[in-house]
Amino acid sequence: MSLRARFPRSVAGGVALALALGLAACGGGGGSAGGAAEFHVLVYGDAANKVEKEIVATFNKTSDVKAVLDTVPGADYQQKLQTIINTPQAPDVFFNWGGGSIQPFVKAGLLLPLDELGPDAAGLETKFLPSVFDTAAVDGKAYGVPMRGTQPVLLFHHRKVLADAGVQPPRTWDELLAAVKKLKAEGITPIALGGGDQWPTLMWFEYLYDRIAGPELLKKALAGDKSVWESADSRKALSMLKQLVDAGAFGTNYDSVKFTDGGSPALLASGKAAFELMGSWEFSTQQDANPDFATKDLGYSAFPTVAGGKGDPAAVVGNTNNFYSVLKKTKHAEHIAKFLKLMYSDDFVKAQLAIGNLPTTTNTEKFLASADNAEYLKYQFDMVDRAPSFQLSWDQAYLQTNATPLHQAVQQFFNGQTDADGFIKAMQSLSTS
Amino acid sequence: MVTLAAPAKSDRRRPPPPGTGPADRAVARPGLGWALPATLFFALFAIVPLLLVAVLSFASWGGIGAPEFVGLDNWVTLLHDPVMIKSLWLSVLLTALGVVTQTPLSILLGVWAAGPQRNRAVLSAIFFVPLLLSATAVSVLWRALLDPNFGVPAQARWLFGDGNLLGSRTGAIAVLVLVGTWQFTPLHTLIYQGATRAIPEVLYQAAAIDGAGTVRQFFHITLPQLRNSVITSVILMVVGGLTTFDTVLILTQGGPGTETTISAFYMYQKAFKSFDFGAGAAIALLLVIVATMISLIVVRLSGYDRMASPKEGL
Repeated sequence: MSLRARFPRSVAGGVALALALGLAACGGGGGSAGGAAEFHVLVYGDAANKVEKEIVATFNKTSDVKAVLDTVPGADYQQKLQTIINTPQAPDVFFNWGGGSIQPFVKAGLLLPLDELGPDAAGLETKFLPSVFDTAAVDGKAYGVPMRGTQPVLLFHHRKVLADAGVQPPRTWDELLAAVKKLKAEGITPIALGGGDQWPTLMWFEYLYDRIAGPELLKKALAGDKSVWESADSRKALSMLKQLVDAGAFGTNYDSVKFTDGGSPALLASGKAAFELMGSWEFSTQQDANPDFATKDLGYSAFPTVAGGKGDPAAVVGNTNNFYSVLKKTKHAEHIAKFLKLMYSDDFVKAQLAIGNLPTTTNTEKFLASADNAEYLKYQFDMVDRAPSFQLSWDQAYLQTNATPLHQAVQQFFNGQTDADGFIKAMQSLSTS
Repeated sequence: MVTLAAPAKSDRRRPPPPGTGPADRAVARPGLGWALPATLFFALFAIVPLLLVAVLSFASWGGIGAPEFVGLDNWVTLLHDPVMIKSLWLSVLLTALGVVTQTPLSILLGVWAAGPQRNRAVLSAIFFVPLLLSATAVSVLWRALLDPNFGVPAQARWLFGDGNLLGSRTGAIAVLVLVGTWQFTPLHTLIYQGATRAIPEVLYQAAAIDGAGTVRQFFHITLPQLRNSVITSVILMVVGGLTTFDTVLILTQGGPGTETTISAFYMYQKAFKSFDFGAGAAIALLLVIVATMISLIVVRLSGYDRMASPKEGL
């Protein structure tokens, strides 16, 4: 009896306590950001954090205002950023992918253009390769400082498979089609494609559109001109893609294969496929999974040129780099400017090269010769350095709201669920503002 | 735990005089205070979020700044969105296929596992393993197994053709049903095993005297006695099926195209991929409504709400 009578009171007390604790926990996070003598740097959490930690330590040695590095484990990064960026918990500096990933923040008036950072930020743009620096500009103003490595997309191949089939790395689209035919006759899947991930399929669109129509097409599309998707160039690119798919270049089961679970890299390494169009990380992926193949037989070349195309054959697509952007509300703009200066220091370049990243500072070149895989890094650096334009991957150039419909559209066009008209309609329905 | 046992103890101290008055008057109803913790917990973690989701479904919110109220915009867009309509059908289709494959399998396995066979305990323990694995781990495992170039399909071309299982509509749906069946049959087997063991032995003895064999006993005694368990299990399958998410995320990502974009996954895509939390909230609410309606229909049609016991007359 006594127990029953006492129960509600003790429970009520317990619940009140629990609630109080919960509320206290919720409130507790508020105090950290914007403290008097520190600024917070939010970055995507992965192996590259090693360098970010070193740079922060270097900065803190000489600065009275300290930088604090906060890492958010990979997959959750964008969600977390999106939910805190307009709250008191927002960082002062944050990692991003440039392009569409910061556009909404700029439109919401949250970001500080680099030219308002004060005298220490003057001339920043001269320290980085222009094709990369430009991808973090919104409406003509720069908002991002490149802070990791560049990842251009290359056409990788299996040297031995090509040699056995008597095929050269293709320099033109026609050579690629001829190679596809030859390899198919040998019973080899000409091109490995991780269609299950969808973004590897998108890379084919990105390059072919760039070769045929030049970078202007996407620039206009991003600016809201939806008619470009109906243009003759766009239709030509689609019909050429269709031709490649119909020729059996990717086999028939590419949508069941993924890059992310090692499926398509294994196809290439095992010689079951001859080519793979992939970001420069293919090299490190292969080094981890198939070290023998990576050193002996992994070849690479630029995407083939297309006869009569308006695009420059030297143009590149891919992930230009990652960037640091600064929030307008920060109280430490001048210290942050000093911090950002470290992103083109010699120590930064050496540290990035040591973990396999290829920085995009103008002083990178002089350190390349002494780095691991010097030849591969030099190839990429020259490629990006010479590129008249570096098209950011479409799924990052567009607002993030479009990623899903964009990925679906490319997959459905490849597997025949939609035709050119359907694809054009899907691209026109993407939001640009 | 100690406090929960308390009322029983105090009741024992003053037992109701047998045969005098209705028994339930002597056993006092537990005070409302008993319901407080659970109610608070439920309100805090179920009712309040549900109400917030309902409010959010009338707003446009990208995660930045304050939600902006847009009236019925999200709902109108959703109801005219072909992917949304298709996703509902796909959810229902996957759920139905799940029920149809898992129910007979788990009834047979459950009835078998309830028996006294010698190898039963060992085999039952093995059947139970998939339930212990996380859905995510299971999906990753199946993805590797079904790789068209290096997995099982590569070794059995006569059965799988080019192995494009996850790249075709039928293949992808079949894989999802198969993995779901593999993963959840053990749970339902457990329900049926327990229920079968609860069937009074006298029924079988009477049937045996009347000359009924194993098969007739199964159809005329076991199955009718399992009726309430079937309903429980089907409702669990329906609710689980409509909210399937992790297997889709890892195995198909809603693809190829939108062929396996079921509503729960579409909700995730809208809210956390496209940062359209208003649309995500509307889908979530729609799912709640649909799942509640289906559960109610199942309960109504089956007569479960009348709580008739299959053991009446025993």
